[in-house]
Amino acid sequence: MTEFVSKMLQQLNSKSYRACRSQSTAREDEHPILYPVDIFGFHHGSNWRQESHGGNLTPDYPMLLNLGMDGIRQQLVTRISQSSDPERIACGERMLAALDGAMEICRTHRETVKKEGSQTLYKALCRVPFGPAESLYEALVSMKALIYCLRVENVDHIGLGRFDQYLYPYYLRACRLGMSREEILELLEAFFIELNYDTDLYIGMLQGDNGQSMVLGGFDGDGNSQYNELSQLCMEASLELSLIEPKINLRVGKNTPPELYEFGTLLTKQGLGFPQYSNDDVVVPGLISLGYSREDALDYVVAACWEFIIPGKGADIPNIRSLNFPLVVNYAVRDHLAEAKDFETFLTHVDAAIVKECKRLIDARKDTIFAEQPLLSVFVAGCVESLRDLWHGGAVYSNFGCHGPGISNAADALMAIKKLVFDEKRISPQELISALDADFEGYTELRNLLRECPKMGNNDDAVDSLASYLMTKFSDFMNGQDNGHGGIWRAGTGSAQGYVRSARICGATADGRKAAEPYGSSFSPALDVKTTGLLSVIQSFTKHDLSTIINGGPLTLEIHDSLLRNAEGISKTAQLVKIFIDMGGHQIQLNAINREILLDAQKHPEKYPNLIVRVWGWSGYFNELEVDYQNHIIRRTEYLR
Amino acid sequence: MLGTVFSIEEFSVYDGPGIRTTVFLKGCPLRCTWCHNPEGQSPRPEIVRSPNGCIGCHACERLGVYEDGRLRFTGESIRGCPQRLLRLCGEELSAADLCDRLLKNRNILQKGGGGVTFSGGEPLYQGEFLLECLSALKGQLHTAVQTCGFAQPELFSRVLEHTDYMLFDLKIYDTDLHEKYTGVPNAPILENFRRLVRSGVPFVPRIPLIPGVTDTEENLGALAALLRENGVTYAEVLPYHKMAGGKYKMLLREYNPGFDECQEPQQREELFREYGINIQCL
Repeated sequence: MTEFVSKMLQQLNSKSYRACRSQSTAREDEHPILYPVDIFGFHHGSNWRQESHGGNLTPDYPMLLNLGMDGIRQQLVTRISQSSDPERIACGERMLAALDGAMEICRTHRETVKKEGSQTLYKALCRVPFGPAESLYEALVSMKALIYCLRVENVDHIGLGRFDQYLYPYYLRACRLGMSREEILELLEAFFIELNYDTDLYIGMLQGDNGQSMVLGGFDGDGNSQYNELSQLCMEASLELSLIEPKINLRVGKNTPPELYEFGTLLTKQGLGFPQYSNDDVVVPGLISLGYSREDALDYVVAACWEFIIPGKGADIPNIRSLNFPLVVNYAVRDHLAEAKDFETFLTHVDAAIVKECKRLIDARKDTIFAEQPLLSVFVAGCVESLRDLWHGGAVYSNFGCHGPGISNAADALMAIKKLVFDEKRISPQELISALDADFEGYTELRNLLRECPKMGNNDDAVDSLASYLMTKFSDFMNGQDNGHGGIWRAGTGSAQGYVRSARICGATADGRKAAEPYGSSFSPALDVKTTGLLSVIQSFTKHDLSTIINGGPLTLEIHDSLLRNAEGISKTAQLVKIFIDMGGHQIQLNAINREILLDAQKHPEKYPNLIVRVWGWSGYFNELEVDYQNHIIRRTEYLR
Repeated sequence: MLGTVFSIEEFSVYDGPGIRTTVFLKGCPLRCTWCHNPEGQSPRPEIVRSPNGCIGCHACERLGVYEDGRLRFTGESIRGCPQRLLRLCGEELSAADLCDRLLKNRNILQKGGGGVTFSGGEPLYQGEFLLECLSALKGQLHTAVQTCGFAQPELFSRVLEHTDYMLFDLKIYDTDLHEKYTGVPNAPILENFRRLVRSGVPFVPRIPLIPGVTDTEENLGALAALLRENGVTYAEVLPYHKMAGGKYKMLLREYNPGFDECQEPQQREELFREYGINIQCL
């Protein structure tokens, strides 16, 4: 770590930047401020608070870097002058006004920098973001300016996309011009530190859910690895800094070498909750079968968490609704269990309930009106050409994603019904319904019978195939449905906050879960299920063809931090991830956790200011989480040793 | 034949080469005062109660019985706990069933360059059962045995013939101290250790570092000398963790380790190096 980087880190950790902020309160909120050690600028003033107007996508950074805002403006002006459609002209003018506003902010900030900031930054701001970026540093400054301006426009969850790909030409240029590896690492580290400022002001479902995801690696259409020297430098920067931002996502596949998994596991060992891995061999074909072009599918990134989107091209809303699996199973139990003559008949009622609920979700979103986001539209391919807002037909893709929280709870519930109600006839349908109605009050023994049934995560075909049934019915119906906004629906295995929120509205379930108790996180075993172990878990969760349900939603594994205490443990844990990917897993994230530390942190938060955990698709400071989410993570560690 | 297993742990990374499943067999001839698997000591199944998540309803106690003034949980206690915190520790199953279960993960264990490790308790305490499992797995999965070494020479030799790998515990070199802290003399252990070296079966010696008991200069020096005499250049050391006492509560037992738990265990890497031995700390 260079002296400069350690100075920046010190500044970040001392939180002295809060004081800088208050000095600026006299200024207008949208006037960016500077810190004493600062080569990027564009920090929010203390009065600024983001509102959520939409986002959760990755702007077209290459467009910005190649053309600059002036170049894009030129295109926009030309398009407007060529159009005869008054609606489009008006939309184009709104984009133009937004772009001019952004450039005005940048110019004003340049003057502040000239007077009181780094002259290197001033020189860069004389060129970018207005003109094309010539150097790696200018590219980063230009990105920083754009991200700031988008935030001011209340775009939330702005991803960083394939950082190692679109910046690679700048990296090569830097090398050619004689910049050393250390100097480039220093620059990247400075930029990474920048991303850790202001995150407390960013809106999310919970503090920490801010969408600063960076995607590294991947494979091109010929199967060649795109993991390059810059990707490696980003990994090294993240490892050395051990900061929560940016959140690293690694694109991997069957040809990913073990060394990369091992380097990723070193990051996991830092307790940051990332990298998250996604499997190109499953995701790319899955996206193609949903209608994405091959070229775009090969370029996929993750949105804020793990939803697969196309950077710079998509106005996809991959988290717009969720199918509450356990709730749907409960509908079928209530309406049809008593009359069903056998389990297969009952399953057809579950299928019908899934379809009915999907239809309801689709209808509810058909006529939703989305507010325009003119500045964001400028940086989404297709909008300038068509003079349309990204949410109103401007973007190449406008698909909706539907999460599927509680898959394992629902499969476990079906398994218990099959075994106890139909196969063994130990519980009558009426008895089960009464027990569920009573939330198991007075039914402890019955509840324990339910809980002793086979559960997903034990590599047991009987229950895993029921999960597969649920997913198949969901994706068969949902994938490709018209969303009423020029796109389709896509089914996924994610839960997002649904493992708490969707679960709150679901009564007791036949897996033995009590009313309102949380589900497992995304595509993971249900809470409180003692699985036979990690080897069984990864087998259970790779049986289904996951390319057919590819909106996103990872297997989340909690591992005891002692597994990573030496090189042997690190290499074997890396191997476990590799095996999961090689077996056809679509996505995985690992939490290296020590339960005792989490329990102690709840009692003495002051002792653990930097304790980081993976929440649902992002890493957050444990102390900043609502207690329900803290407890969820602690419960996931119940059986770790 | 039937054996008693108290845990099967998948993805154990410190119990031999590659990714492994470790089978814990119940029953042990030793009573190490620092034992962190006290549920592995008695050969019989017993009911344990996890302290995590107890709501204090006392249902388990009401449904238990008192024998000689000591509370003993029953099957009713297990079924009556709303939090499901009680379980029968110690599953009786046949060697064939156990091996079927282990072979279910054969592909994944082989992909991970690993296999199955039998631990305990003391796996040789159920010697015939262990041998039956090892024979059944031969040629299908790599096997390892983690042992305290306290076993009849004849049994020990038969196990050596059937296992691919061994993890051999060495605790205290002085026989009186060994007896004081583990309840048994160490002569049979040292004999079996030499037997293991002669057999040519690949193995790793493991030394628990118990503060003030095994981690002293005299003891580690003597063990290092023993290793050097036998041409061993690598050993694993396992520092004592204060968490060790946690499980005794589950068995309604008190934990009296007989040494100062708060002392940091000494690794004495230097000392081992002087004897030409590399150590890895687990």
